[in-house]
Amino acid sequence: MLDMLQYDFMRIALVSAILIGVTAPAVGTFIVQRRLSLLGDGVGHIALTGIGLALLTGTSPLLGALVVCVLGAVAIEVLRARSRSGGDVALAVLFYGGLAGGVLLTNREGGGASLQAYLFGSITSVTARDLYVVAGLAVVVLGIVLVFGRELFLLCQDEEVARTAGLPVRFLSVLIAATAAVTVVIAMRAIGLLLVSALMVVPVAAAQQVTRGFRGTMLVAMGVGVLSAVTGLAGSFQYDLPPGPSIVLLALAIFLAAVVGGSVVRRRRTVPAPVPDEARAGATAEAEVRGG
Amino acid sequence: MSSAPPLQMTGGRVRFDGREALSGVDLRVGAGEFLAVLGANGSGKSTLVRALLGLVPLSGGRTEIYGVPPARFRDWKRVGYVPQRLPAGGGVPATVREIVASGRVARRSRWRPASSADRAAVDAALRAVGLADRARDSAHLLSGGQQRRVLIARALAGEPDVLVMDEPTAGVDAASQAALAAILRELAGRGRTVVLVAHELGPLEPLIDRCVVMEHGRVAHEGAPPPPAWSRAAQAEDPHHHGPREGARSDEIGMRAG
Ligand SMILES: Nc1ncnc2c1ncn2[C@@H]1O[C@H](COP(=O)(O)OP(=O)(O)OP(=O)(O)O)[C@@H](O)[C@H]1O
Ligand SMILES: [Mg+2]
Repeated sequence: MLDMLQYDFMRIALVSAILIGVTAPAVGTFIVQRRLSLLGDGVGHIALTGIGLALLTGTSPLLGALVVCVLGAVAIEVLRARSRSGGDVALAVLFYGGLAGGVLLTNREGGGASLQAYLFGSITSVTARDLYVVAGLAVVVLGIVLVFGRELFLLCQDEEVARTAGLPVRFLSVLIAATAAVTVVIAMRAIGLLLVSALMVVPVAAAQQVTRGFRGTMLVAMGVGVLSAVTGLAGSFQYDLPPGPSIVLLALAIFLAAVVGGSVVRRRRTVPAPVPDEARAGATAEAEVRGG
Repeated sequence: MSSAPPLQMTGGRVRFDGREALSGVDLRVGAGEFLAVLGANGSGKSTLVRALLGLVPLSGGRTEIYGVPPARFRDWKRVGYVPQRLPAGGGVPATVREIVASGRVARRSRWRPASSADRAAVDAALRAVGLADRARDSAHLLSGGQQRRVLIARALAGEPDVLVMDEPTAGVDAASQAALAAILRELAGRGRTVVLVAHELGPLEPLIDRCVVMEHGRVAHEGAPPPPAWSRAAQAEDPHHHGPREGARSDEIGMRAG
């Protein structure tokens, strides 16, 4: 674990893994609460078009993806609010549009290899300059969560009640979508666009197995995010595996452990403190039945 | 401005897919008034209160909150709303306290942490609905009636001047209804305005100043609170045969207000 810190690129990778581990689940908590778990995927597909455009025009792929992602997320939110079918179709439209656009543009550029890097991630190719951008974006995302968290919480609970509390509902909806887009861009270099939203959703799913509250879920999810990002990175270095999938599989493993652990914890909690003799007798009887 | 009534609708119309859910409602809710909205399922009660708060757009007429159309109204900390539907429960759990505390959002600055006044209001709201001991539990694991009490507490935590409640007592047991009646009596005593949608008035009945009975998107009857028998009859599909008690005609609108 420590010898990987000898390398500059691994130190950079480690810092960016920590940043991703913290930010993706923080935003993901709101996304899951709003039942928009696939938003990250939609934005991820749109990002491809941004990268394609950037490669074509010779600008920074990070910047291209950022601009196109934020625009796409805002478009998803507007379509979701306007259309009857809800976010579902809106997401699908942008999914396919973004993917097709990205493949088309990168193909013209002959950038199939770099497309690969963005689809599946290559954390070790993150440069120091990328890291500054990613760190800056992470600060922005966490700042938004910190400042607007309470309002976003009420918005995600009940949009109508949020309106009667005088909250700028439309602005907040766009804000959460745009923040999710920024998070996708933060994570895309490391995790890859196809797996980005796993790190927004899976840690939250794991956390809510063992928590009772929103805040608790968010904090535990951030812990799960950092844990899986750092150990996933270390493991991929150790065993020469691709980091993105390693990180995501670790998060999934934690999720499975939490499902099992959570149900045990809940069963403990609901068992009445004094165990009557009958119950014990019943348990013995059951054991006997199983034994026979 | 200060003399403007908390809620006032003139000729309010609401359309859903070409069908009128509200067809020309005139309603004035005076300061300090306790108004009950009765009527059969689908008669437009929820649509009426949601339109009063600007949650559904009017296709005709106008409505004002403290003299200002909802779109331009800014003083939302004066308004509390208890929706009829329980939230579907998003993917993430929230504790009872977190949900109740979110009712303070209109009173708190974005930049300021919770003050002791915020915490005191949340504690008081939790005690008022008898859920102080469940404050740290996940709201979605409570019973339906308990969840409704969480929503009531969320509205109470905001310490609103006008409290709009859409069937807050549906599925709530007798003891909790009596507790709610006690809270509302205290609020009414402090001059707060209450709009209550209900099928069964139950222990809230003595608090009510005026009743509005909705029927096919119109105010069919308006007047003094009906005897308990009427409030049960109000659920019937056809309330024509059970008129409210005498002197309760709609031309008395607003006479009792203020
Ligand atoms: N969002 C909506 N879209 C379409 N139609 C609606 C919508 N909300 C209400 N309606 C229609 O408007 C009419 C009045 O509905 P409303 O919810 O106001 O009734 P209600 O009096 O509150 O009934 P209940 O006692 O069941 O709560 C109904 O016919 C309903 O189908
Ligand atoms: Mg209703």
